Amino acid sequence: MLKFVAGRFLVSLAVAFTISFVTFFFLNIFTDPAQAVAGEEALFEEIEQIRTQYGFDRPILTRYFEWLGGIFTGDFGVSYYWNKPVGTLLLERAPQTIKLALMSVSVTIMVAIPLGIFAALNPNSIIDRFALSVAVSAQAIPNFWLGLILIIIFSVTFPIFPVSGDKTYYHFILPSVVLGTSSVPPVMRLMRTGLLDVINSDYIRTARSIGFSGWRLVTKHALRNAVLPIISVIAVQLGHKFGGSLITESVFAINGLGRLALLSILGADIPTVQILIFVFAITFIVFNLLSDILNAYLDPRLRL
Amino acid sequence: METTLLEIKNLNISFNISKNIVNTVDNFSLTLKEKETIGIVGESGSGKTISMLGLTRLLPKQAFVDKGSILFKGRDISNISNKEFYQTISGKKISMIFQEPMTALNPVYTIGRQLMATYLFHNDVSRNSAYNRAIDFLDKVQLTNVKERMAQYPHQLSGGQRQRVMIAMALINSPELLIADEPTTALDVTVQKEIVGLIQKLIENLGMAMIFISHDLGLVSKTCENIIVMEKGLILESGKAENVLTRPKENYTKNLLKCLWSLDVDHKKIHKDRTLLLDVKNISKSYQLTGSILKPKKIINAVRNVSFEIFKGETLAIVGESGSGKSTVAKIINGLTKMDSGDVLLEGKKIDSYSPLERALRIQPVFQDPYSTLNPNHTIGFIVRRPLLLNTSLSSYEIETKVEKTLNLVGLSENFINRFPSQLSGGQRQRVAIARAIILEPKILICDEPTSSLDVTIQSQILDLLNELKERLKITIVLISHNISVVKFLSDRVLVMNNGEILESGNTLSIINKPNNNYTKKLMSAIFTVKKKV
Repeated sequence: MLKFVAGRFLVSLAVAFTISFVTFFFLNIFTDPAQAVAGEEALFEEIEQIRTQYGFDRPILTRYFEWLGGIFTGDFGVSYYWNKPVGTLLLERAPQTIKLALMSVSVTIMVAIPLGIFAALNPNSIIDRFALSVAVSAQAIPNFWLGLILIIIFSVTFPIFPVSGDKTYYHFILPSVVLGTSSVPPVMRLMRTGLLDVINSDYIRTARSIGFSGWRLVTKHALRNAVLPIISVIAVQLGHKFGGSLITESVFAINGLGRLALLSILGADIPTVQILIFVFAITFIVFNLLSDILNAYLDPRLRL
Repeated sequence: METTLLEIKNLNISFNISKNIVNTVDNFSLTLKEKETIGIVGESGSGKTISMLGLTRLLPKQAFVDKGSILFKGRDISNISNKEFYQTISGKKISMIFQEPMTALNPVYTIGRQLMATYLFHNDVSRNSAYNRAIDFLDKVQLTNVKERMAQYPHQLSGGQRQRVMIAMALINSPELLIADEPTTALDVTVQKEIVGLIQKLIENLGMAMIFISHDLGLVSKTCENIIVMEKGLILESGKAENVLTRPKENYTKNLLKCLWSLDVDHKKIHKDRTLLLDVKNISKSYQLTGSILKPKKIINAVRNVSFEIFKGETLAIVGESGSGKSTVAKIINGLTKMDSGDVLLEGKKIDSYSPLERALRIQPVFQDPYSTLNPNHTIGFIVRRPLLLNTSLSSYEIETKVEKTLNLVGLSENFINRFPSQLSGGQRQRVAIARAIILEPKILICDEPTSSLDVTIQSQILDLLNELKERLKITIVLISHNISVVKFLSDRVLVMNNGEILESGNTLSIINKPNNNYTKKLMSAIFTVKKKV
């Protein structure tokens, strides 16, 4: 198991380095950082002056290692657009996104998993049909529309929740429902088919031949097998959510990473954009690593 | 006086297939005394397994018990609630062992945990005593290093070992009846005999009754006192094993027995033609399992330095268990896999110097599974015709005549030309596969387990066909098989393979009757045959 974790960790590290390299090079080769700082209407001389002033005239490899070294020492660079250290920007914006991500994934889990289990245990029943229709509608409804509808119903008509903002946990409930709903279909479907497969497997027949039945059969013999594929899917969903949801954050006026990314891209703010891309990638890698480890812990066949 | 343990009266089981009720088991009755053993024999679809699943309430969702009563120790258990049945009967009084040991154990839990859960479910004891009980039963099924086994997962054990664990699990609650559903069918021949011996010994020691389900009449006659023969959901006959074997009443049983006897032939002409057709020289083949950063690549030597000759018109059998390398050899000769080193000479010319079309004219394969080797989207006519279109320039009239002639040769009428594989039975499909292979009149036919996935009665028909074709077309056959009876029936010469090497080779009868190698001896002693009694 230790060997497995070490192996996966090394692979993840390699992926992280590759991503840092690729993002830095793409951003610095396909856009001109000096032009970006100087603005659209800057004169040629001004751009050249900025180029030497900021050191953009040095070789790209030198700048890459300087940037990478900065990340390791906690210096994420300075944003030209926001006029702040990128690190400070991240610290300001990340908590909102993390709250939203965790709460919305909780919503997903609380809805999708029980629904999937009930659907699998009663295939083609009314519960199953209901679960399927929930999945189809959740997939078909656009996030911004659901967000607006929820605001109209629960904030305007019946003022239970605040319309927008991110001051208290209370503010995050509606956005979490919106964001969580969009992840319900894949998780629920996977739970249903996974559990159905397991229930029809030979080893469940063995357990039934021993006398196990009902909930005990499901919880003690089937669930662990069925939950394995779910873990990977939830890890991916978490990765997505940590990248910030542009639309949901905008609809509910939450100052998270999604909005930061949008505004930084529009402002051609290369230092912020490259750190954000890197941070989003790292969160993906970390969640994948965690889900691999959890899967291997639950399924001995993966610990090879 | 022995008391009756189980009495099943007029059990009917039906399937509900999209609102159509199909009766699959019709009036199944059985009486089993304490410590008695009964074997249920029948081919696939005969209802032997379904009737037992009906008894243990493990029927698939679409199936249900129509009517019938089940008396267990004098008490009618057909009407008790599921809850009561699961708590007092399943696993406690009646246990089951299943066919597929590879999938019958839960892959994510340790052997120990599964055994202990089985015991703890029916017994209110401490975990400690459950642990000791589990260890004790792993000992009983003759596993080694039992303490370490407890912490192992199913995938770390071999098929035979898993089936031993399964047996331990079935017996740990000391049931009074054990139902064994084809417990050895999925195992290698040499392991089969050990497992059957083990089950018999434990049944006797623990004083249990057993119902043994199998398609293998030979095996059942060796393990059970009484036999029930089933066909299409009906019990055809039942009685003492001795009587059923020596004085079968029903035609179907006679037919089954005839199939077994026909394989037990002792007449063999020695093949005299010594014209060298295929010369295999020192071939080796290894497979590489891909590794990862921390794991080195693993190399499996499937075939190591194997040499042999095939003479014109003979039938050579390559015998071995799974993983022995016999199929890899077949693939190499067929040109489906490249060898690492060595040479295969076909009529004196290197086999890789033939183009695929030239090779196909000379060597053709027949594979094991007729259900997946025929393309379901093509008609039988297309499948059989195709090799001719690719390899010859015959006119369409000539092609059609040839297709009809070849279909007739394998015992199919020309009406089959426009049918699709899904409309054919397993035996008919295998005939199509043979027709496709012989239509080009190849010199060599490579048959890789041609009958393993067919029922006994069908098996003997296909073997008869191959034998007939061999005589009529003077074709050379390379037979790959793990089934000694099939080999004995069909082949002139035998190669015994194990771990990628040839252990022994020679005349079929001398290898079967007087094996020199220890492994060959083990392989030969593992077959259960029914000798014809005159």
